[in-house]
Amino acid sequence: MIFLLLIYAYIFIINVPGLIKRKEWKELAAFSFLFVIAFALGIMYVLDIPIPSPMKGLQHFFVDILGIEYPK
Amino acid sequence: MSIEKGKISCQQLLFLFAGFIEGSALLIDFTVGITEHQTWMVILAGLIISTPVILSYAVLAKKFPGMNLVQINDMVYGRFLGKIISIYYIFFFSMTLSFNIRDVGELYITFLMQDTPFIFFLIVFTVTCAYAVIKGIEVLTRISHLILVIGLFAVISTFILLIDQMDFSNFLPFFELPFIKIFQGIHIVSMIPFGETVVFLMIMGCLNKSEHAVKNTFFGLLIGAASLLIVAVRNTAVLGKTQTIWTSASFQAIRLINIGTVLTRMDFLIGIALTILMFFKCSIFLYVMVVAVSQLFGLKTYEPLVLPLAAIEVIIAATVFQSPVDHAMITQNAGIIYSAPLVFVIPPLSLLIAKIRGLPKLERGKET
Amino acid sequence: MGKKMNISIIKSILCFFLVFALSGCLGAREINDLEIVIGMGVDKDENAGNILLTAQVVKENAVGGASGNGGGGDDEAYWNVSSKGESIFDAVRQMTHKTGNRLFISHNQAVIFGNDVAKEGLQEYIDFFLRAHEMRPAALILVAEDRASDVLDAKPETEKFPAMNIAKLVKTYGFTSHLYKVNMKDFALWLMSDTTAPLAPLLTIIQNGENKEIYVSGMAAFKNGKMVGKLNHDESRGLLWVLGEVRSGVIIVPSPNETGKAVLEILKAKSKVTPEIKDGKIVMHIKIKEESSLSEQSTTENLADDKAFEKIQKSSAEVIRQEIMAAFDKSREFNADIFGFGEMLHKKYSNEWKTLKDNWDEIYPTIELNIDVESKIIKTDLLKKPAAPKEGEK
Repeated sequence: MIFLLLIYAYIFIINVPGLIKRKEWKELAAFSFLFVIAFALGIMYVLDIPIPSPMKGLQHFFVDILGIEYPK
Repeated sequence: MSIEKGKISCQQLLFLFAGFIEGSALLIDFTVGITEHQTWMVILAGLIISTPVILSYAVLAKKFPGMNLVQINDMVYGRFLGKIISIYYIFFFSMTLSFNIRDVGELYITFLMQDTPFIFFLIVFTVTCAYAVIKGIEVLTRISHLILVIGLFAVISTFILLIDQMDFSNFLPFFELPFIKIFQGIHIVSMIPFGETVVFLMIMGCLNKSEHAVKNTFFGLLIGAASLLIVAVRNTAVLGKTQTIWTSASFQAIRLINIGTVLTRMDFLIGIALTILMFFKCSIFLYVMVVAVSQLFGLKTYEPLVLPLAAIEVIIAATVFQSPVDHAMITQNAGIIYSAPLVFVIPPLSLLIAKIRGLPKLERGKET
Repeated sequence: MGKKMNISIIKSILCFFLVFALSGCLGAREINDLEIVIGMGVDKDENAGNILLTAQVVKENAVGGASGNGGGGDDEAYWNVSSKGESIFDAVRQMTHKTGNRLFISHNQAVIFGNDVAKEGLQEYIDFFLRAHEMRPAALILVAEDRASDVLDAKPETEKFPAMNIAKLVKTYGFTSHLYKVNMKDFALWLMSDTTAPLAPLLTIIQNGENKEIYVSGMAAFKNGKMVGKLNHDESRGLLWVLGEVRSGVIIVPSPNETGKAVLEILKAKSKVTPEIKDGKIVMHIKIKEESSLSEQSTTENLADDKAFEKIQKSSAEVIRQEIMAAFDKSREFNADIFGFGEMLHKKYSNEWKTLKDNWDEIYPTIELNIDVESKIIKTDLLKKPAAPKEGEK
């Protein structure tokens, strides 16, 4: 947990001050957007909240709904 | 108008391509369970089928010099549809990158260091890739020479060391398996080692002179495919039918090297070589993904996005599958189906549309 | 500027710490924590359903000052630990009740299966040895005529460890070609085949006064993982002729004038097997080419002339033929395809194979062998003629 917070703090510190100083607002916005997603995922992982897997969804989609599958 | 300030030369493209495909040397294990002793055939067939498609990437890049995939999509399909297609590509990049990172982790926890927690490998590996990406494409290209040499050395030396344990009758009977399995094998091979080179559409925008792009792409592809073929032949000759039961056929084949009681237990060295190759491949993937996302948002540099995207990738890699069994099963089915259009359909289609519409309309009346 | 300096200092400190953290992984085990296993034996336990696992573990003090010991105490350099369990992995872990540390099986030279386990079927027990990541596929597999734990006890004279001795015995099979080296991967390959019978060398213990000596008495043949029969030395060599694995060995034939023996040392042997399906019957054409040298003769005849050579060559070819037939007849007795004829047919006639393999048990004994042996003597070592008074011959 602490490890996680340290890592994210590091990412934040490395990037944000530089962006603000250079007034790159668009970049800052994109960064924050992705940062929030990454942080949320990280917290979910550490707290053992199940994260839905896109591939399982795709597999489900192809096999169960569309019925396309290679035979074993 | 490009995000990337660096430039690469055409010859370096060859090394990039070949090194990238070598990184997939371990991934032919995905087909071995299905195509057994006919894997070499499947690789050749996959090569033949993928070559025109991959060459079309090079032609497309030549047509749109200095532009990467997202920009090309915008031009060819219009702003809205182009962005949707680019998002599809970004999804593909991110998923495939997470598979590859996970592969490295699985390699370590199965064979080399069992007790270390899985996420640790993912984090360390991804951080290294992120560092490489922040440095830029020129750095990656400079390493590609070394990577290719390492890859070729590993492949050829293990082949030679195992010659005395090879039994070439393992390749008979030739046409035993039912066609659907061969078809699936060809599908897997054209997607996983070869199809993943679609990422180069993001990089070829950096070529400083694009005349020899097609030639170099082709040779890079050939060299990469030759190494894969050597690996497949080596595994089949040495292991015979047992190659389908091992989790990683290449590793087990290498464990059998036993020359003069000195050259034994080589699997560690191969683990190191593979890690380096996979690092190269994943760095390229991460780079491509970051640049694509930055381009999509219309940013001036891609640097700030590297770390957050890397962090997202780590978490995805850690959670997308439950075990190597899952990984193999899903990749062999849904994984290659959803990404097939991206590799086989859209780039040639873009090329066609560009030809028809006379793009890029940089100067009136002037075509490439 | 100060900020940049700070950040790069932080980075360097991080790297420094990472070096310490990453240079050892969590799975690191020091040598003191290892029980280095060089041989393993599997037997059946008194309780049905359990197995007795014996592991030959190296003792550290032996690794260090071995040479200084000079015939001193009875202190052996190894320790045979045993444990019981319901499955191999279970027994391996139970071993820690006695040893404290986990077994480290990367250096395992050989796995020996006891007679009772072999008869019951190895399929149940072999999975661990293939799946465990520390096991090497190049480790040897053997069968003991009685109990594997006894075999691991027999202390050899010229080697420190029984397991290394056994491994050496098997690896040097080429000197007599009366047995064959089988490693885990080969065994697994045979198990995976529908028709081929796996083989493993057979170890016997001979009581020689005080000492027990290990002796490789032939090969054991398996079917569906169960041991079904044994091949003695000659039959094993017959098998090796067909497989083309004869490296060297001794063939004894009567001398042309029937006054003694001519002894040949096999130098090289090649074999070519061609399967053929003729009128619904399976015929295997076996062609053997062999070169030998005259290494000993017990008569005073001069054997160094064409006629004598011809006769000796013919007799030697006949001996080879008989060894092959003996192997084949024995294999027919217990109906096990030890030669791999099934797989050879599979490779050549893949279409017919689909129907043949289901009835292989009935088909195998009906296979006809067409054996053609060519035996040549290419040298006579250092003597041209025997040390005997000259006879008025030729």
